[in-house]
Amino acid sequence: MTALLDVAGLHVALGRGRGRAGILHGVSLTVAPGEIVGLIGETGSGKTTLARAVLGLARAQRGSITIDGREVGGLRGGALREFRRGGAVQYVFQDPLRSLDPERTVFETLVEGLVVRGGYSRAELREAALDAARLVSLPPDLLPRHPGELSGGQRQRVAIARAIAVDPRLLICDEPVSALDASTRITILELLLRLRETRDLGVLLITHDLGSLGGVADRVVVLYHGQVVETGTTEEVLLAPRHPYTRLLVSSVPSIGDEEPPDPELRRALREEVRGLAAAPARQ
Amino acid sequence: MSVSPDPATAAREAAEAAGPGAAARETLLSVRGLRVSVADGSEVLHGVDLDVPRGSAVGLVGESGSGKTLTCRAVLGLLPAGVEVTGGEITLDGTELTALPAARRARLRGTDLAAVFQDPASYLNPSIAVGAQLAEVLRVKVGLGRRAARHRAVELLGAMGLRHPEHVSRQYPFELSGGMLQRVLIAMSITAGPRLLIADEATTALDVTVQAEVLELLAELRRDRGLTLVVVSHDLAVISQVCDTVHVFRDGGVVEAGPTRQVLRAPRHPYTRELIDNHERFGIGRVREQRSRS
Amino acid sequence: MRTVTAALRTRAGAVAAAVLVAVLLLAVVGPLLAPYDPLRNGADILQPPSAAHWFGTDYLGRDVLSRVLAGAPASVFTAFEAVGIGLVIGVVPGITSVHLGRAYEWITLRVMDGLIALPFLIFAIAVAALLGNAVHQAMVAVGILLAPSFYRITRAAALSHANAQYVTAAQLFGASTWWVLRAHVWSKVLPTLVVATANATAGGLLVVSSLTFLGIGVVPPEPTWGGIVASDLGYLTQRPYGPVLPSLFIMATVGALNLLADAIRDTGGDHGRARSLRRTGAGRVRLT
Repeated sequence: MTALLDVAGLHVALGRGRGRAGILHGVSLTVAPGEIVGLIGETGSGKTTLARAVLGLARAQRGSITIDGREVGGLRGGALREFRRGGAVQYVFQDPLRSLDPERTVFETLVEGLVVRGGYSRAELREAALDAARLVSLPPDLLPRHPGELSGGQRQRVAIARAIAVDPRLLICDEPVSALDASTRITILELLLRLRETRDLGVLLITHDLGSLGGVADRVVVLYHGQVVETGTTEEVLLAPRHPYTRLLVSSVPSIGDEEPPDPELRRALREEVRGLAAAPARQ
Repeated sequence: MSVSPDPATAAREAAEAAGPGAAARETLLSVRGLRVSVADGSEVLHGVDLDVPRGSAVGLVGESGSGKTLTCRAVLGLLPAGVEVTGGEITLDGTELTALPAARRARLRGTDLAAVFQDPASYLNPSIAVGAQLAEVLRVKVGLGRRAARHRAVELLGAMGLRHPEHVSRQYPFELSGGMLQRVLIAMSITAGPRLLIADEATTALDVTVQAEVLELLAELRRDRGLTLVVVSHDLAVISQVCDTVHVFRDGGVVEAGPTRQVLRAPRHPYTRELIDNHERFGIGRVREQRSRS
Repeated sequence: MRTVTAALRTRAGAVAAAVLVAVLLLAVVGPLLAPYDPLRNGADILQPPSAAHWFGTDYLGRDVLSRVLAGAPASVFTAFEAVGIGLVIGVVPGITSVHLGRAYEWITLRVMDGLIALPFLIFAIAVAALLGNAVHQAMVAVGILLAPSFYRITRAAALSHANAQYVTAAQLFGASTWWVLRAHVWSKVLPTLVVATANATAGGLLVVSSLTFLGIGVVPPEPTWGGIVASDLGYLTQRPYGPVLPSLFIMATVGALNLLADAIRDTGGDHGRARSLRRTGAGRVRLT
């Protein structure tokens, strides 16, 4: 089965002149249609840069990005805009408050992608907005409201609805639930699972919390200092991690089922090991 | 890595313990029937009861709006304008706090009672090096001289687990990561040797490995300095890792309280059960469970 | 736009708007209301206020009230003209400098820096000397000198909104820069712009008054408020209350403009958040 998203040997550096720093060093990963892949990385791992590169918001120096068989890494200007209007990839931001224009109604926000694409009548737009709202279980009476009047969970649902209204094949979600309460978190994650079922949507779920991927992601990719240090099924990575960094991550996640907290000595040893690795990064 | 109190604080503690009639009280902080209301009269905290035994770690768990932070702010005497305590009492080591005049209350902060919050960067002056800010607290609250304060500041930073503390003490807040900043703030909060430390969502904004380190640090402080902890979080797992007892907050009141293991294993209130379920739906526990079933 | 209409509903905003409407009306019909010909010299010089001359006469026997009324359009509309020129020269580069690439940005920044560096009054005098001492040329000079602050203000506003996440979201849909500006940036820059315009008009009026005070722009004996103040200053000993009337008009207009600007600035910026707080009922305190 051809991969929906195929990132191969991606190198990205940001900044200019002396401030220029390498962020990603040869990153490769794939997402198949209907697959949810979790990308784990902490601050400084380069996960946001990876998302931006896939979306065309950051330029890659080396490597390729292929979406649905089409090489998109080199797209610029008009060609990039045209590709985006096609709606193959969409993005859900982390902060539901800031990613919605406070002066536009929920309706206007939901249909924005379609309006930009053009060719839809007012009735069709209305239909699309109602459909999208229904998909995310958003009551239709919220359509004329403004984001400031909605709760955090509702806003994030609007953000997701906005993204899927253009019928994307690939959805990239950046920490979609970290700003939300526990119960809202469940609703959103279950929504993603449902969308995967009904639309064969491929999802790249970016987060720093390994624990939140259990029960959601099929596969996990662990990013550390701009390199992929481990990949595998969620079960493999969470229950039998191989790389010291992954082991450190797994042992750091607090869990309520534990009879006793993870051993600090073990963590200390793993931290030392990981620091040693960071000092001499291995090339993939 | 042990955290020894500085000589001044140790002397003071010893003197207090030996003072007349100062039998070490079992309960350090006691909150009874605490009620808090906002300016227009509506009540936001409806009779909260809380007992914090000396040397223990008590967890307050609940979602945003549940009243856990409000309770802490009431204890600290730092309620926002227009919000005030309208009932109940707060007793710290025998002293009734709500009856105290504001000036005396303010003096207790830092020396008896301390807190660290969620966004460490916003609690530091962005244009002064962190070592200098830490030294300032040492001079003001502990009475050390300039050089002694600077020296002790570097020592404290090292004790908090910061590598190259002399270098870090010369850095500005924007140069440090969230985890490092939180350690600096914890250092600042314990300089005057408080008996109680409130950590309000102190690790929420941190990466999970950094969170583990900070939680370890708090556990260490409790062990080595006898620091009593009140940990506030929306994350039940954090509470379960650190705290002996847990209080579940919802809509301005406590719906369930008890020893952590017991509450987690056999929750009585449906809301508590819901919180636990949420955790087990998505997370490592779920994967482990799936594996054990297959 | 919601911000502006909301501001007009506040007490300060409504009062300011009322005063400005009155001033505008005055500027339009003022000369028609003048009881005497403002230019005709009379025999009764420096008369105190009387039944015949409500505010007395000036040093050439001209009715002061008529001169002030007749001077309204020249004072008010010239200020608008200067501000209008400044707006066009400043706002368009201001907003577009954020979106049209680095080279364009650099050029506009340097041009505006140059304009800011010009010493104001000397520049006005130089333009008057060069292009002839007539009112429109002077207003062009004032407009050019007002442009950099419009540029900076709109640029700052556009910058603060250009990196908003919802702008990125729109770009990810394939929206063109033009669409983004129209849908997301413009309406947020507008309140800032309206405030800046109100302030600039107030400033512009003072500048026009100063220029005519110095004799630049409006050729005597055409009356302008600033010019009247200037000519009356020479006769303060005989008529100490002389400059009061024209100054009052200047003050009222400038004050109302500033008040309106403040009202717009104060009502702007909460984006419905205030409404949502009320909606969650009973002042629910979002602290935890």
